[in-house]
Amino acid sequence: MIQRVNEKISVITVYNHIKNSILPVQVRWHGRIYHIKKLGYHHKVRMGRTMLHIFSVCDDSLALKLQFNSDTLEWMLEEVSDGLTD
Amino acid sequence: MDLPINHNAPTIMHIDLDSCFATIEQQANPLLRGKPLVVAAYATPNGCVLSPSIEVKRFGVKTGMSVRDARLLCKGVIVRTPDPPKYRDVHMKFRAIFNDYSPNVSPRSIDEAIIDFTGTPYLKRGLVEIGNEIKKRMKQEIGEWIWCSIGIAPNRFLAKLGAGLKKPDGMVVITHENLMSIYAKIKLKDLHGINTKNEARLNINGIFTPTQFFKASENTLRSLVFKGIMGYYWYLRLRGWEIDAVDWDRKSFGQEYSLGKQTDDPEEISRILMKLCEKMGRRLRSAGSAAQGIHVACLYKDMTHWHRGKKVEQQLYTTPELYRKAQWLLNQQPERKVIRKLAVSCFDLMASKTPQMELFDVAVDKRRQVSDAMDKINDRYGEFVITPAIMLGMNDLVLDRIAFGNVKGIEELY
Repeated sequence: MIQRVNEKISVITVYNHIKNSILPVQVRWHGRIYHIKKLGYHHKVRMGRTMLHIFSVCDDSLALKLQFNSDTLEWMLEEVSDGLTD
Repeated sequence: MDLPINHNAPTIMHIDLDSCFATIEQQANPLLRGKPLVVAAYATPNGCVLSPSIEVKRFGVKTGMSVRDARLLCKGVIVRTPDPPKYRDVHMKFRAIFNDYSPNVSPRSIDEAIIDFTGTPYLKRGLVEIGNEIKKRMKQEIGEWIWCSIGIAPNRFLAKLGAGLKKPDGMVVITHENLMSIYAKIKLKDLHGINTKNEARLNINGIFTPTQFFKASENTLRSLVFKGIMGYYWYLRLRGWEIDAVDWDRKSFGQEYSLGKQTDDPEEISRILMKLCEKMGRRLRSAGSAAQGIHVACLYKDMTHWHRGKKVEQQLYTTPELYRKAQWLLNQQPERKVIRKLAVSCFDLMASKTPQMELFDVAVDKRRQVSDAMDKINDRYGEFVITPAIMLGMNDLVLDRIAFGNVKGIEELY
């Protein structure tokens, strides 16, 4: 099942200067902490001149679609999905 | 004299992402991997399946089916709606990989591209080795769940045929040596460009298999089957000679929308038409073009259709200019029926420049300046930040979609 969320969240990220990559490793949403196990895909989307970074990540049972706004430096949780049928 | 099969070494590689949208969703969400999944235009029962995953294809689910039918064939199928920006990003990444191997890369659609290796040093390494390297790089640089099928042949047509023969994750090389044995194993409709109509055309001339198609003389294909130059093109194509190395210039801009809620309400249809004209106008103007023709098409609920196109004297540039003419055409429908799909396109493109001054309408240039200013605001703050009032409250209508085929202009989004 997939659920649209669109809520601001707190995120801890790790930046690797050798690979020049950034990875969200921990997400706090509604008081609960999710430890990110895997980055599925990272892509960029333009909203006007603002660049949004979209990180599709997951822990063991939940997939999260995170959006980082490079203008406002805000993190949003766009949607969550458990990878099961509706 | 009969033309022999092309004996030259293969130089064309056709690369096709397997189950493109579904595979990309599985890449992005590892919890979906190995599960039956379809990406459908809408998640509703009537939504059209755009891309079934490799797992669900085993149940007989195919592109074009309804979600309802997909659920009947595979009870636990997961349905997702498309995420076009993600698919475009993958497209740009695989194009970047291909550009490392040849300057002649032609994207054919969001999930297909052709690399012409003619004259490149990579030919010496062998295209099979290059193909394996490309597969490896796609997994490393895009994602480990990304699969592609590769066809290698002397021309584009056979390379595409090869890419479709062994899926998923296959690689087929077609040369003069194995061409006939491949034709013996496939059906006419497996050949790209042979649809139901062309198949019937061949059948009524006694051609029922690709081998018979290959053996037909040029005269038969030209004068009897296709009744024109197309027959000659097929004659060349089937023998491995290149006839499809043409990159067509853009001739039109168009938008279409399958109505989630089908309606015959003229007000609602006008609002949708305006949004289609705005999206089309944005693309037209960003390409620095104006149009002198407009076309509107409707597919009705009863599956009948109607369309009308018209050339106009004035240049169409701003959204209101396009919309006014499109609405004028739409009003010429012989009867109002419930519309299922609405499409608008503009053609007869030309470079947009200040039009000749009108004797009575002196505000043409001012209207263009206003339109350009609105475009700049939308470029800066995001699409549809400023819109015509008729489009208010339409955020969820006419969603971003990936067109089948043409990927012209995809770079403009990045």
